[in-house]
Amino acid sequence: MLVFVIRRLLVTVPVLLAASMFSFALIDVTGDPLADLLVQQPPPSQEVIQAERERLYLDRPAYERYWLWLTGIGGNGDIGLLQGEFGPSVQGPAFDVGAEVAARMGVTLRLVAAAVLLALGLAVATGVVSAMRQYSVVDHTLTFIGFLALAMPTFWLGALIKEAGVWANGQLGTTVFSTIGASAADTRGMDLWERIADAGGHLVLPTVALMLTGYAAWSRYQRTAMLEVLNSDYVRLAHAKGLRRRTVMRRHALRTALIPLTSVAAVTIAEILAGTVLIETVFQWRGMGTLLVEAVRTSDAYVLMGWLMLAGTLVVLANLAADLLYGVLDPRIRYE
Amino acid sequence: MTAEEAAVEAVSDPVAGSRPAREGAPVLEIEDLHVSFPTEDGRVRAVRGVSYRVHRGEALGIVGESGSGKSVASLAVMGLLPRGAEVRGAARVLGEQVLHLPDEELSRVRGERIAMIFQDPLTSLNPVYTVGRQIAEAVRAHRAVSERKALERAVELLGAVGIPRPEERVRSYPHELSGGMRQRVVIAIAMANDPDVMIADEPTTALDVTVQAQVLEALEAARRHTGAALVLITHDLGVVAGHVDRVAVMYAGRVVEEGPVDAVFSRPRMPYTLGLLGSRPRLDEERVRRLAPISGAPPTLLAPPPGCPFAPRCPMAEDRCTAEEPPLRSVGAGRTAACHFSERLEEDGADTLFGRPDRAPPSTAPPAPDGAAPLLSAKGLVKHFPVRSKGVVRRRIGDVHAVCGVSLDLREHETLALVGESGCGKSTTARLLLRLLTPDAGTVEFEGADIAGLPRARLRRLRQDMQIVFQDPFASLDPRMTVAEIIAEPLRIHGLYRERGGAADVQRLLRTVGLGPEHGARYPHEFSGGQRQRIGIARALALRPRTLILDEPVSALDVSIQAGVVNLLEDLQEEFGLAYLFVSHDLSVVRHIADRVAVMYLGKVVESGPADRLFTSPTHPYTQTLVSAIPLPDPRKERRRQRILVTGDVPSPSSPPSGCRFRTRCPKFADTLSPAEQSRCIEEEPPLDPWAAGHLTACHYAEERALWSEGP
Repeated sequence: MLVFVIRRLLVTVPVLLAASMFSFALIDVTGDPLADLLVQQPPPSQEVIQAERERLYLDRPAYERYWLWLTGIGGNGDIGLLQGEFGPSVQGPAFDVGAEVAARMGVTLRLVAAAVLLALGLAVATGVVSAMRQYSVVDHTLTFIGFLALAMPTFWLGALIKEAGVWANGQLGTTVFSTIGASAADTRGMDLWERIADAGGHLVLPTVALMLTGYAAWSRYQRTAMLEVLNSDYVRLAHAKGLRRRTVMRRHALRTALIPLTSVAAVTIAEILAGTVLIETVFQWRGMGTLLVEAVRTSDAYVLMGWLMLAGTLVVLANLAADLLYGVLDPRIRYE
Repeated sequence: MTAEEAAVEAVSDPVAGSRPAREGAPVLEIEDLHVSFPTEDGRVRAVRGVSYRVHRGEALGIVGESGSGKSVASLAVMGLLPRGAEVRGAARVLGEQVLHLPDEELSRVRGERIAMIFQDPLTSLNPVYTVGRQIAEAVRAHRAVSERKALERAVELLGAVGIPRPEERVRSYPHELSGGMRQRVVIAIAMANDPDVMIADEPTTALDVTVQAQVLEALEAARRHTGAALVLITHDLGVVAGHVDRVAVMYAGRVVEEGPVDAVFSRPRMPYTLGLLGSRPRLDEERVRRLAPISGAPPTLLAPPPGCPFAPRCPMAEDRCTAEEPPLRSVGAGRTAACHFSERLEEDGADTLFGRPDRAPPSTAPPAPDGAAPLLSAKGLVKHFPVRSKGVVRRRIGDVHAVCGVSLDLREHETLALVGESGCGKSTTARLLLRLLTPDAGTVEFEGADIAGLPRARLRRLRQDMQIVFQDPFASLDPRMTVAEIIAEPLRIHGLYRERGGAADVQRLLRTVGLGPEHGARYPHEFSGGQRQRIGIARALALRPRTLILDEPVSALDVSIQAGVVNLLEDLQEEFGLAYLFVSHDLSVVRHIADRVAVMYLGKVVESGPADRLFTSPTHPYTQTLVSAIPLPDPRKERRRQRILVTGDVPSPSSPPSGCRFRTRCPKFADTLSPAEQSRCIEEEPPLDPWAAGHLTACHYAEERALWSEGP
C-alpha cells in the first residue's frame, strides 16, 4: 500500500509539470500584464514602465521566466512555486499574492466542502430511493429534478436561487437568506459562535446552487449502481439467507453500490471548482473564483498561473484519494 | 435412531432403488402455483399450476429446458421474484404458507427452514466481504451467537463441503477462490442453519465436469449433515439420474410427468420425457444410431393456445390434444403424467415414436488409414499470451501458456474432437489452426502447404477451405443484417456471389440447413437458438469449405434442439465429405459425433485415439476421470458406476506444474504410485507416445481401465 502511494505520488510529478508548462505557455502568449499601465493617462514615464517590466521579470526571455516561476532561482525572492512564492502581481509590490490566495482559499474551500458533502449525501440517498422504487412516482420526480439540474447552466441556477432568496426575504420582511458575500459586512463585536452562525447563514444559498450540478450527476450514477446491485445474485442470496430487507439493503446493496461513486466523484471535483467561479461571482464572494476573474481582467499572469496550478493539484489529489479509497472499499483491487 | 437419521441413512444408501413415497407430512408442498410477469407484449404465464411435494430426507429432481418455468417456481417459493410478478396458489413449508408473507416473517423461514443454491457461483457471493463473514452472517441471521462463534461454525461448514484448509479459506475473499470452491461456499451457506429443504437451481451448470462431480459430492454431504430434503433443478438428465429419488419433468410452465426416477427414466409416460431422453446422446452408447430430435420449439407463454402445449411437437398428437389440455393424472404406482394417451407409451420407445432412423450404413468410410496424408496438420503449436502488470508501464510479468506443443492431424471426411475443461487451450488451438491467431512456434499445414507463415493475401484464398461455427448463436450473427445477407457475406467478400448463383445459392444453403427460403428476408432476432445456429452453419458452408472448425456448436442449445443440429452436422458431413474439428467440453456429444478424440489438459494433448477406444478403455488418468465424471441419464447405471474423483482445481496456466501437468490432481499419482514412481512424474514430462494403433497417451504409468461394468 505504501509503495503504491509513493509510486502514485511520483506519477503526479510529471502530470503537474506538464500542467505547469501548459499553463505558462497559454498565459504567456495571451495578454500583456503591462497593458493597463501603457494606456494610462497621462502616460507613465519610460523609467516607470521599465521598472515595472523588471519587477514582473518581463525583461527576461520566456524560458528563463518559466524556470524562474517554477524554482525562483535568480529572482528577487518573491517568485518560485517550489519556494511557495506565486510571483509578483500587477497590482503593485505591496500586493502579496500568497496571503491573498490563502485568505480566499479558506472561503472557497468552505463552500466547496459544504457543496461536495451535501451533494454526496443527497445523491446517495435519492439514488438509493430511486433504485429501490424504480419507475414509481418518487423515482420519476427525482429523475426529473436530476435532469433539470443537469440541464440548467450553473450561473442561471445560481441567479435564480439568489433571486428566490431575495424574494423570500422581501416576503418575510426580514433577512432570512443572506444573498451577498461570504459573511456579514461587519463582523466586529461578534463572538466566535456568532461568526460561525453568520458564515453558515451566508453559505446556504451558494452551497445549494453549487451543489446541484454534482448532485444531479452523482444521483444518476448512484441509481444505476444500486439497480445493478439490487439485481445481482449476491443480493438474492442475502435474502435467501434470511436477512431482513433493511439489512440486505444496507450491508450488501448500498455498501457495494457506493464503490463506483468514489471515482466518479473525484472527477466531478474539477467541475465543482470551475463552478465556484460562477457562483462566487453571482453571490459576490471574495473567494478563489472572483480572484480568477479579477486576474483575468487585469492580465495578472502570475496570479492566473498560480491559480491554475493550485486547481490542478487539488484535482490530482482528489483522484489519488479516490484511488486509495477504492482499494479500501473493494478487496478485489489490491495495490502492490 | 430418530426418524430424521433414518431418512438420512436411506438417502445416503446409494444402491437402494426407487423408494416408496414417504409417510407423514411433506416438508415442502407446492399447490397449484401460478406465476405471471408483465412484459411489453403482455403477461407471460411462466408457471401454470404447478404442484409437488417433497418429504423429509427426499430428493426431488425438476427437469426442464430453458423457459419451462422450473426456476421461476422455486424463486416464487423463496419470495425472490422481481417486483411485478403475480403469484397465486400455495407453497407450504412444514405446513406454513410462505407465499405473500411480510418481510419479517419470510426472513425467519428463509435460510432457517428453506435454503437456496444458485446457478452462478461467480456472482452469488458479495465481492466485498470474506467468505467466512458471509457464512457467519447466515448463521447469525437466525441464531443469537457471537461473531467468533459464527466464524467457528463457518470453518466447520467449509470443512463439511470439502474445502481444504478451511481455517485459512474462511478469511479469503470470493475472488480468491475458484468457481467450484465458491459454489461450495454457497452450499455451506445453505447448510448453515440445518434447513429442512434445500433448493439447488442448476448448481453445476456453470462448472466444468470434474468440478461438477466435486460439487455434487458436496451437495450430497450437505444432505447427510443436515438431513434436509433436496429440490434439484437442472436441465441435465444425467445430473438428476444419480442424485434424486423422484423426478418431475416441466414443460411450458407445467409439470408434465412425475414419478420415481428409475421408472420415469426407463418407461416415460409422456412423449416429451421420452423425446428428451431420446434426443440426448449417451456416453455409454456406441455411435451407431442417429439422435431422435424433437421437432419444433417450445411454445411462447404469452398466450398459450388451448390444448396440450407439447401437441405441436408431439408425434402422437390427435385432435383431442389440440383442443383439451390434459390434466396431470395418476398413471400407476406413485406416478403422474399429463398426456391423454400415456397408456400407449407403455410399449413404445423414443425410436419408434420420434422415428430415429438408423444411421445411414455405418457411414464411417472408416477414418482414412494412418498412411493417408492429412488434410490439416499441426505440429508443435505453441501460443503464449503475455500477462502484464497494471499501471502505466505494463511490464510483461509472465505468460499464460495457453497451448504448449500441440500436434494434430485432421483427415478428410473425418471428425476429430478436441475435448477438455475450460482453460485447457482447446479453443485457442482451434483459432491457431485457422490462423485467426498466429502461433508463437510450430507449423500448420493444409494439404501439405505451411500456412503458419503465409502472407495475408494467400491466407485469404485459403480461408475458403476452412470455416468456423461459433458457440454463441446470439452473438455470432450481426443483428442488423438479414439472414440472406449474413449467408451471402462470405461469398461477397471472396467475390464469388454472382459466380455461385447469387440469391439462388443462398436459398439452396438455407434449404441445406433445414430452413425455408422465406427465412432469408428476416433478421436473426426472429429466430430461436437452434435456428440461429443453423444460419451460422449455412454461413460457414457458403464458400463450400472442406474443413469446418466447430467451436462448441451445440453447447448453448437446449437438449431437444441439440439433437437436430447434431444430426444436421452429420448429414452435411455425409453429403459434402467435410472434415470437422469439433471443439467441445460435452463428452456425450463428442462420443456420438467424433471418429477420433484428442483430450487436452493445460495446453497439452494428454491422450488421443479413436473415439470408441478412448471412451471404453482410456489409459490416461485424466481421460479416465473426465469420462467417469460425466453423469449418465440412467439412474441404475449411474448408481452403480465407479467414479474416479479428482481433487482440487485446474492449476493456473501461467505457472503449470513441473513434469506431468496433471500430477497435482492425478488420482493415480496420489493413491497408487510409490514415492520413486512419483518423482518421475514430478521431474520428467511424459511424452505423447503410441499405446496402440492410432492411440497415443502421455502418461508414464498408462494403463487401460474399463469404465463400464456391464451387469443386470
